[in-house]
Amino acid sequence: MATPSLLLYIDRSLFARRVKDSRPVEQKDPGWKLFGKVPLREGPIKDPKKIQKEYETKSGRAGPGNPTSPRQSVRKNLDFEPLSTTALILEDRPANLPAKPAEEAQKHRQQYEEMVAQAKKRELKEAQKRKKQLEDRCKLEESIGSAAQTWNQEILPNWSTMCTSRRVRDLWWQGIPPSVRGRVWSLAVGNELNITHELYNICLSRAKEKWKTTAAPTTDTETEDIGSSDRESSLELIKLDISRTFPQLCIFQQGGPYHDVLHSILGAYTCYRPDVGYVQGMSFIAAVLILNLDTADAFIAFANLLNKPCQMAFFRVDHSLMLTYFAAFEVFFEENLPKLFAHFKTNNLTPDIYLIDWIFTLYSKSLPLDLACRVWDVFCRDSEEFLFRTALGLLRLYQDVLTCMDFIHMAQFLTRLPDLIPAEQLFQHIAAIHMTSRNRKWAQVLQALTEQKRSGARQPGAEALS
Amino acid sequence: MAYAYLFKYIIIGDTGVGKSCLLLQFTDKRFQPVHDLTIGVEFGARMITIDGKQIKLQIWDTAGQESFRSITRSYYRGAAGALLVYDITRRDTFNHLTTWLEDARQHSNSNMVIMLIGNKSDLESRREVKKEEGEAFAREHGLIFMETSAKTASNVEEAFINTAKEIYEKIQEGVFDINNEANGIKIGPQHPTTSSILTSGQGGQQAGGGCC
Repeated sequence: MATPSLLLYIDRSLFARRVKDSRPVEQKDPGWKLFGKVPLREGPIKDPKKIQKEYETKSGRAGPGNPTSPRQSVRKNLDFEPLSTTALILEDRPANLPAKPAEEAQKHRQQYEEMVAQAKKRELKEAQKRKKQLEDRCKLEESIGSAAQTWNQEILPNWSTMCTSRRVRDLWWQGIPPSVRGRVWSLAVGNELNITHELYNICLSRAKEKWKTTAAPTTDTETEDIGSSDRESSLELIKLDISRTFPQLCIFQQGGPYHDVLHSILGAYTCYRPDVGYVQGMSFIAAVLILNLDTADAFIAFANLLNKPCQMAFFRVDHSLMLTYFAAFEVFFEENLPKLFAHFKTNNLTPDIYLIDWIFTLYSKSLPLDLACRVWDVFCRDSEEFLFRTALGLLRLYQDVLTCMDFIHMAQFLTRLPDLIPAEQLFQHIAAIHMTSRNRKWAQVLQALTEQKRSGARQPGAEALS
Repeated sequence: MAYAYLFKYIIIGDTGVGKSCLLLQFTDKRFQPVHDLTIGVEFGARMITIDGKQIKLQIWDTAGQESFRSITRSYYRGAAGALLVYDITRRDTFNHLTTWLEDARQHSNSNMVIMLIGNKSDLESRREVKKEEGEAFAREHGLIFMETSAKTASNVEEAFINTAKEIYEKIQEGVFDINNEANGIKIGPQHPTTSSILTSGQGGQQAGGGCC
């Protein structure tokens, strides 16, 4: 019943050989042995054991390490890897069966040729696609390379005069090349706190001393003042959290190359700012900085970054100020995405539910790392406002999906964003977010809300804790 | 999916005791040895059956660090059940239970069912808190108690379901006012109202009491 022409899926190189020589050729290479097992033209059925024996001797003779294997040499000459599914072989009807009518044979041959032609076309298309991808990648790498050159030779040496220019700002938006990223971040974050490498080393050695004293079990009585035991547990907590920082990267965990560096920076910070101490989320910020800067410079950037008003408000968990930030965010949310805003309101989805994680870790936990770095790029340029703008960009990007969800699905979606987020699309959506509300900019809205709260707080009961 | 009731749960307890791992085991039936650290709050949901009724659990998994307490406090509101978790291999997480309990009692409704959970029961060799201590603490404070292992899944299912059973019983006893959503219970869209039970002979009648 089956189609008289047998189509087998085998390496294309076999095909070329096969049509020239319709009889099974003398086996020269283990790659050919497959046909030896199929007694197509031999007529009488062979004993399987005999075939097996034949096969073994033939493959043995060919030897696995044959350097002039025709298969290999053919492979080398091909422009592209042949796909196994496009290797089609036209088989004649076995000799023990009556030959097919000429008309049918002709039809089959034609069908077969069409299939081969199509397969070739597809292969060519695939090859072109791959070539295009490669070209795109080369182009991208080239553009990164030339951008890195621009940053290195033009912008960085003239930082103070150029950093606010239109051209630099545009280049900045497109993403800073990884090779200069750390330096640009450092310059943009600045060092208002005037931290030196020496100061870092002092803080670090103080932290190390503390670790030593806490490492030794001091059988402390439980009546010790809460403050000091809390700070100790903060050191304990750093240890616990380091292993939970980018666990998938496997570089910050115990035994990983950056474990000690992360530990040092977080420890040094608790000594530099004992009033703030270690707060969860910091390990992610420090980790991203470590990936782009040397240890001491990472610490300087870390301390200065956390000293910014928004970060201070969050890492000191100043709840009332955090709520003011959320309220300001909602002003721009309603302005930019009124439909989604209303949907969130009816479902009681408050911004703290998703913003806390995003702001605390500066998106490094919730976005893919390369995308998070691009957000950091512009955050360094535009400061806190950009964090909230990014949030609105994300909401805008997923607006259609979110409007179809109920509370729990939205909450789950936003606290665990998709693994693949299209970077260019996200930045287009961020760009489409306008950070002005009734002619007021972010800072003005925030300030107005802060003042409103302050005057409201004077009247008892006016404090609106969500 | 249709459900008779929706219960809001909150999981609380010190950082690193395994709150997120318990949730993951309950919702996805898997264990992640190194779980991401939770900042703010994360969510899980699962349907369970009690007394032949579909109940949807909406679970709020909170950050454990002391600094985040002020944030966590705002999430108690509207919770019908709380899982208070400590780590049997870390004594200090057990010592902090009183402050957690104070917080929970102060910021939730008085009927909230609290389940005390001693997690990491698979790490018997590193145990620092005896099972009896957990039991005693629970008895003293009127909590339900269980030791669980998010790693082996031992008692995880039971911990979540027994809490729901307790809430369900309270509903049956009329302790919870199910029409007040502040209690953390929401009636599902297809739940027959008490009055419609009497007229249940007329099958075609849809209970329109779906709340919004």
